[in-house]
Formats: sequence, C-alpha cells, structure tokens
Amino acid sequence: MRVFAFAWRALVRQPARSALAVLGVAAVGALLLDMLLLSEGLVLSMRELLDRMGFDVRVTAGDAPPDAGPAIANAAVASAAITALPEVRSVTAIRSEEAELEHRDRRVDTVFLGVGGAPRVWTILRGREPAGRGELVLNQYAADTLGLDPGGMVSVRAYCGDAEAPPPLAFRVSGVAELPFELPDAASAATRLGDLEEACGAPGAGRADFLAVTSAGDATGAAAAIAAARPDLRAFTNDELIGRVQQGSSTYFRQISTVLATITVAFALLLIAVLLTVSVNQRLGEIAALRAIGFSQRRVVVDVLCESALIVGLGGALSVPLGLLLAAWLDAILKRMPGIPIDMHFFVFEPQALVVHGLLLAATAVLAAAYPMRIVARLPIAATLRAEVIS
Amino acid sequence: MLVTRQLAELEGLAVGDEVRLAGDAEGARAQTFRIVGIYEPTPDPMRLGSVPRAVRLHLPDLLALTRDPGVPAGAEHVDAINIALVDPDDAEAFSRDLSARAPGALARPTSRAAGAGSTFVVLERFHAAIAAVTILAATVFLLALTIMLVNERRETAGVLRLIGLPARRILAQVLVEGLLVAGLGALFGLALALGSEALINRFFQWRYDTALVFVRITPRVAATCLAIAVPLGAAATVAASWVLLRPTAHNPRGGGPGSRRGGLRLARR
Repeated sequence: MRVFAFAWRALVRQPARSALAVLGVAAVGALLLDMLLLSEGLVLSMRELLDRMGFDVRVTAGDAPPDAGPAIANAAVASAAITALPEVRSVTAIRSEEAELEHRDRRVDTVFLGVGGAPRVWTILRGREPAGRGELVLNQYAADTLGLDPGGMVSVRAYCGDAEAPPPLAFRVSGVAELPFELPDAASAATRLGDLEEACGAPGAGRADFLAVTSAGDATGAAAAIAAARPDLRAFTNDELIGRVQQGSSTYFRQISTVLATITVAFALLLIAVLLTVSVNQRLGEIAALRAIGFSQRRVVVDVLCESALIVGLGGALSVPLGLLLAAWLDAILKRMPGIPIDMHFFVFEPQALVVHGLLLAATAVLAAAYPMRIVARLPIAATLRAEVIS
Repeated sequence: MLVTRQLAELEGLAVGDEVRLAGDAEGARAQTFRIVGIYEPTPDPMRLGSVPRAVRLHLPDLLALTRDPGVPAGAEHVDAINIALVDPDDAEAFSRDLSARAPGALARPTSRAAGAGSTFVVLERFHAAIAAVTILAATVFLLALTIMLVNERRETAGVLRLIGLPARRILAQVLVEGLLVAGLGALFGLALALGSEALINRFFQWRYDTALVFVRITPRVAATCLAIAVPLGAAATVAASWVLLRPTAHNPRGGGPGSRRGGLRLARR
C-alpha cells in the first residue's frame, strides 16, 4: 500500500498531466469495451430473440433460412408427423406474406403472419388472442397508423406471390400484440394460418414457411428425430441458426471489432508508455536521490509500475460507464440499418467482455510501464545526481 | 446461364459445362442449361462469410422453370422491373406519375434506394462515430504529452522572455513548431494508411472471398484527416504553452508567468 500511496503522490503532484492521462485511458478503454461488446453482441441478441420465441428447432423445406427458402407443402401433414415424435412437445406452422390493411381511408403495408397451432409467437399488449374466424392482432405501429383499437374492423388485401391479389377480406382486430422480429416503424399483423390462407384466396393451401418446434427437452435429439422421420425437410436447432448468424452478418462486425480493439490497445499502450517515459525522464534526478537515500532498485521500479497501474486502473474504472453510454449511442446508429428488428442489438453486455476488458487493460498497464521501468532500473545514481547538480 | 465465381469454384463448374436445374427439391421438370460465363457477384457487406451460390438465367427461362403447371405462359409475376429513363433527371417525376397511374405498384428512383437508411450510409455514420471517439482520446493524450513537454521547456521559455522576446513571439514560435510536428505526423499517418490500404483489402478479400473493398483512402478522406490532425496538433501545443506564458489579471499586458519577472522565475526553476 505504501508503494501505491507514493505513486499516488507522484500523480497528484502533476494534476493536469495525470487527469488528462486518466481521461485518455477512459476514452480508449470505453472504445475497447464497446468493441468487445460488439464482437458477440449480434449473436447474443439473436440467441435471446430466438429463445424468447419459445421454440428450439426450426423445420424448413431447404437449406436456406426460414424466411428465404422454399415453402413447406402439406404443412399440416408434416406438423402431424413431427408432433407424433416422442422427442417433440409441440409444433407451430408459420407463414408470412405481405398485405395492405385499410381502415377509414388509412392504409398501411404490413407483414402478415399466419400461425397454425399453439403456442402463439406473439405477446398480447391489449385485447385478446384471435379466437374466432376472421380475427387478427396488430402491432402497436399498425394500430397507431390505422387508428384502430381491439374490436375495430380492418380490410386486408393479401399479396401472396400470385399474379393477382385476391379481393380484400374484413378482419376484426382482437388485440394489439408485440410480434417477433418486429421492425421499427413497420406494421405487422398476425392471424391464424387458415385465415391467412383465406386472405390469400387459397383456403386449405397448407403451405408454411417453416415449422417452429418445441422439443421435449433435447433440441439436438428432436432435430435428429425430425430429420429421420422426414428426410425431405431440414431441422435446425437454435444453436445451428446462431452458427449461421456467426458465419454471416455478424462476421463483419466481429472482424471490425477485432481490428479496432487491437488498434485501441496498441494506441493506449504506446501513449501510456510515452507519458510514463517522459514523466520518468523528467524525474531522473529525484529518482536518483531516492535511490541515494536508501530506496531499493526494486522499490523505484515498482513505483513506476504502480503509477502506470493507477493511471490505467482509474481510467479503466471510468471507462466502464463511459463505454456503456457510448455503446448505447453506437447501437442506436447501427440499428438504423434496414431490416434490423426493434429488439435486436449490436452491443450486448456480458460479464465475460468485462473480464477480458480488465485483463487487456492490466496487460496494457504492465507493458506500458516496461520501458520506463527499465530506465529506472538501470539509472546510474552518482552520474545522474552529478548531472542534476551541474545543470 | 451465368454462374457466380464462388459457386463455380465450389462445384468445379466451367464455361461450356451443362447443368440441370429444377424449380423444386425433388428435381421435377428439370431443364438443362449451358454455362456461358462466370461472374463476380455484387458484394453485400451483410452477407460476408456466406458463399454466394447464385446463377443468372434469362427471365423467360426462369419463368418457364418455376411456373406452376396450371399457370399459362405469360401469366407469371416478377418481383421488380428496372427502368432506364431517357433523361435520368426525370426519375422523381416519373416515379410519382407511375405510382399514380398504377395503384399497388411501388415506383421509386434508384438513387433513393441508397438513402439515409441504407446499410452503407449507416456503416459510414458508425465509422465516423468511432473516429470521433478515437480523435477525442488522441486529443486528450496529446494535451497530456504537450503539457509535460512544455513543462520540460519552462527554463528555455524563461530565458527567451529574459532576453526580451515577447510572449506573443514565443507563442508564435511554438505554434509554428506545433504545425510542423502535427503536419509531419499527419503525413506519416497518411503514408501508413496508404501503405496498409492494399494489405487490409487483400486480407479481408481473401478472408471472405469477396470483391468488396474494405478500405479506400480517397483524396477527400486524406484532406479530412489533414484538416483535423494539423489544427488539432497545433492547437494542443499552443494551449499547453499558453498556460505557461499567459498574461494574468494583475497585469494584463503580461505580468504573469509570461512577464519578464515571470520569465526570471521560470528560468530559475
């Protein structure tokens, strides 16, 4: 503790220099923390969104992601076959189309979900689940844009990939809900799969984009059982989908974060080393005097290390709240990218990132102090004191 | 048909090869196509790391391949129609006109597709924000360093004041010195960036098997760097020196550390 107290006094003696050095480390540390949060943020956020939906296996007709591949024909038959498997608890068929909703001369384009089976994939905010025929739920944006509340009527014209859109159908709004993967400022609506098929003008079509499966506990086992029972379909666990995200869109941000984190650490290392070296060079006479009055070589070396640790430690502690604020700002910027759901985040806090942040800063403190410590360790006491007296 | 370079490499396809394509996974109604070229797909930063397995067919071939047996030829639909206007400046007016005449069709100029919310614009903003934080950190460190360096030259400044140089003259000298150091530093930084530009691009293009350009040092970027770095460096030097040479409230004409008496005190220290 004495060594730290001594190093603290050295810092306090040069308040402007010390304060600026701590602020500099805080800014660099904040950036470093953000890059660590960014490296896995998208993947963690996606996992949280997938887990929140309550399904652990997705079944599609091809290798493409659920929203981009071919549709599953005879989804009811596939659902029944999969539901019969002992590894499976429940199956929900999901189909997504585009639709135009109209209410009293107000129109809005929406993503229109049709869901067959239970459990539902949305969370009711107001009203109730669509129970009867011709009922749907709207997201908050759609309800606000159309000026609708639960109980109101809305005209739905669905565009289901055919050359001509079928005539519009009247639906009753049963509730306002939070739908999965909602986009900001975009309308969404959801109903039962049968009602969506009617809106598409093809009742009983039995098509689904994918089947969302809840396993009986073992997602991998359920996926294997589904693959064995229906070799024409592909079953992905949440982990496999996350793996795809890791190889796809999150790769860019992971690489960017790696590059920037490396540059940030190198930048901090260089600048702290320069600051400490200049500081030590300015105090050579003082250090030589301390050695002359009995301070050991080890003691003055540790003093320099403690000074570095104090600068980096104080700056590092300050960098955590600063980094979290910065992360919120950067996240808001990145979320303006098209197609990013409201609940998706690029910067997600995880304790492991904080540990790595601390370790990197600790390594920076030690490495930055290495050269000035060497200067102090090799300081010729008599010659330095003589040079000081003559100058 | 045309095949992406990545797909051709993955499947060992070459120009002149014949392949069979079908509209469904069972391979029903498959048709034979001849590969007449290999193309580099337009890179998409959001699909980095995924191999673009894509082919290009003539539209009638694609429609014939994907049409349901019950749908008569000519009744298919397409996702979008690209229109080249005689006068590109008419794009806005043409879009409005078309939207009014064909309800349900969404017409918009391609220039607007890359508007304020496009991926590239958002990424540019993100990088600008990162750069701003880096500049802030660098400025703080620079100030700390210049304060230490100015302290080191306290004696010199004192002697210069004692032999009659006014504080303004010393500040001007410091400013020129700061400009020179900042200018040289900025030029070194630019040279480093230019030198590493090709290296970074080659590494990431190899890593992701893409033609995407990751780093491009344009004259505008270089000018922006110089415009920020040089004044900032010079300003940090002058700000740190000003603390040493500024006039005080007791003597606005220079009675503080910058006065002759102050100079003597500085020289003694």
